[in-house]
Amino acid sequence: MPSKLLNGFRMLDLTDEKGALCGKMFADLGAEVIKVEPPEGCSTRRIPPYIDDIPDPDRCLYSIAYHAGKKSVTANLASAEGRALVTDLAAKADFLVESYPVGHLDSIGLGHDALAARNPRLIYTSITPFGDTGPGKNYQWADIVSWAAGGAMYLMGEEGKPPLQMSLPQAGLHAGGEAAVASMIAHYPRQIDGLGQKIVVNMQACIVWTLMNEQAMPFLHGNHLARSGAYAGSTGAQRKMVYECKDGHISILVAGGTTFAPSTRALIGWMGESGYGSEWMRQKEWTIWVPGVFMAMTEQDRQEIAELEETIGRFFATMTKSEIYAQALKRRILLAPVATAADIDRDEHLKARDFWVDVPHDTIGRTLVFPGPFAKMTATPIGGSTRAPRIGEHNDEIYRGVLGLSPQRIQELCGGGAI
Amino acid sequence: MGHFALEGIHVLDFAWVGVGPITTKYLADNGAEVIRVESAAHPDVLRIGPPWKDATPGINRSQFFASFNTSKKSITLDLRKPKAREIARRLVPWADIVAESFTPKAMRNWELDYEKLRAIKPDIIMLSTCMQGQTGPNALYPGFGQLMAALSGFYYISGYGPGSCTPPYGAYTDFIAPRFAACALLAALDYRRRTGIGQYIDMSQYEAAMQNLTPALIDYRATGRVLGPRANGSDRYAPHGAYRCADEDDAERWIAIAVANDEQWHAMLQVLDAHTTESRFDSLEGRIEHAAALDEFVGSLVRKHNAHELTAKLQAAGVAAYPVENCIDIHHDENLEAFDFWHWLDHPEMGPSPYEGLEHRMSRTPGELRMPAPLLGQHNDEVFGKMLGMGPDEIEQLKKDGVIF
Repeated sequence: MPSKLLNGFRMLDLTDEKGALCGKMFADLGAEVIKVEPPEGCSTRRIPPYIDDIPDPDRCLYSIAYHAGKKSVTANLASAEGRALVTDLAAKADFLVESYPVGHLDSIGLGHDALAARNPRLIYTSITPFGDTGPGKNYQWADIVSWAAGGAMYLMGEEGKPPLQMSLPQAGLHAGGEAAVASMIAHYPRQIDGLGQKIVVNMQACIVWTLMNEQAMPFLHGNHLARSGAYAGSTGAQRKMVYECKDGHISILVAGGTTFAPSTRALIGWMGESGYGSEWMRQKEWTIWVPGVFMAMTEQDRQEIAELEETIGRFFATMTKSEIYAQALKRRILLAPVATAADIDRDEHLKARDFWVDVPHDTIGRTLVFPGPFAKMTATPIGGSTRAPRIGEHNDEIYRGVLGLSPQRIQELCGGGAI
Repeated sequence: MGHFALEGIHVLDFAWVGVGPITTKYLADNGAEVIRVESAAHPDVLRIGPPWKDATPGINRSQFFASFNTSKKSITLDLRKPKAREIARRLVPWADIVAESFTPKAMRNWELDYEKLRAIKPDIIMLSTCMQGQTGPNALYPGFGQLMAALSGFYYISGYGPGSCTPPYGAYTDFIAPRFAACALLAALDYRRRTGIGQYIDMSQYEAAMQNLTPALIDYRATGRVLGPRANGSDRYAPHGAYRCADEDDAERWIAIAVANDEQWHAMLQVLDAHTTESRFDSLEGRIEHAAALDEFVGSLVRKHNAHELTAKLQAAGVAAYPVENCIDIHHDENLEAFDFWHWLDHPEMGPSPYEGLEHRMSRTPGELRMPAPLLGQHNDEVFGKMLGMGPDEIEQLKKDGVIF
């Protein structure tokens, strides 16, 4: 009985940062994921920052995080023998995921058609910045380019200042997640009829999808949003979403209607206990108060919103994030601390769920603490990763065990520069 | 093998709002039959959220709801009524998957929790997805995606520098968690096919979202370093950021540029017909160290250029660049067009409406937006009549009693 969902299935991972998460998810689900990288190591091993700022591939946090649970072999795709190794591995794989420039693997005989001719079961997933047919198919890529092309950047930041990206770039992660889903969708029929297929993931489209349907605004409402810093909503109905407090920020959307009224009433009650707020706030029928959404925003609404936001701002400024969040949990006020990694690490809720996982890293002589599995499943555990492999750590295991090469042959291939 | 990858898979979908419906949309667009169990007494909040057809609210007029619910059917049952719950349970034997996304107590209160469903169908696969998971002290604390994006760390890495917080747009984590949830469901389906064993999936959207921040979380525990807001700063590229170009139609336009090495730097200067005698810009390290001055310099160079034309020139010279597109631009984007991304589906009440297409394309069993989103209860007669064998009188009575509602 397999102990994990995808035990017994093998994926070849030829991605860089445009898709490293895909193989990580498959490894979490129990597949054998073999990272195929050049002899000098994949570019994902040289992304700062490094543990203790020592620029060593085994200390690269991106690699530590997103290659966990994988195995690593090296293959020099510039050599015929190196390419033959990948072809042979692909013949014994169930999945292949890659993010080379569009057409590159085809041009060296490692494209879908060539590999599927030998292994029709293979599900071959290509991650592309802009698809494989359009005018931008060969465009140079950086994560910020996808963030801009997909419309997310335009909506992030303040008016009058540059549009923004997050400090930990996200587009490659969305594409990796999408590649995992698409590969798994193709897996289901393949297990019935034995036929794989070719999948193309479009990273620009992956970012458009994160816009929460804002794309439809121009057609249906005749306007579109601009970036508005700490405020949410369209022009004329903007609400403050981020407030300063003693040690950082709190996110809260003060609104009415049946969904938000209980939370808004609880907040006003709490503020009242400390002498903040006005009588009208306590008297207001919040359940039917939805200006700017289902009813016109009047001048009075504007004044009330301004007063409310100003009051909340003063009130929150007297407390810390954790003090505010603790009360919110108790009083069921819908808000969240703008949590730092340190806040997340302290969260008692995550501890109660045994979220954090120790992963020993003999490579650097210490144990690192990882975020736990992306879901808890009753029959088959997810995750429990082993550490990211060293470059080529599994050459012997894979080339001998999977391809049946002799130790002498492996030595020769190393000497000849193929491995 | 049918035309679609997941033909023959049945999903009874109690989920609402974002993560649950987006997850089951993957299944529906790939051929699974997904029946959403809704209620007019407690409608999906997205059904009453904008954007609406003609900017006019209505239960069947929200594109926000429609986008997440293509290819699905809708029935209505007021689950507060015992009779409605009994009918819902009669649909369980039909289902391979049951999905829900309420706060944890709801399904228990309705006696539709995993233990109860398993008693009806032992190999059922059930997905529960909520804010913070089914267990733990904050399990019952409600929320929504914007707050989750703050709680799980994304807001804090968004801003112009220390003290600044300018969040990513919308319910950001709602667009992370579904990919993990869909993978878990699909893997569970395959596992059940091989072993006959179903299971229960507890997905905390908080825990799923953090998978997109793993390096920063490991770093904190290992070194104490806290990743914070840093505008468009980078340790790998310089220049790296968004730079203002010439206005078009009185609107400001920006271009995103990322330069990875000296070769690209010189190529960029050549495209812009620019020179610099600043020795601190000679190397990547120097440009990273003096990023603020560099940004000012690059900003001055691109200010009079058209963002689209400059993109074409920079890309031709091997420099990563793209216009910072807004929500009108993306509908005219030649690359999305070449991917056939946008789809206009003819919705029974809204008429032709703009839907996002799939983010991937499959060669053999391509998914498809098979139907626009369902009207509330559009498939009541089909499901209660044809599937459960109820007569028209019985259905009518149940409607009168507010059970089918």
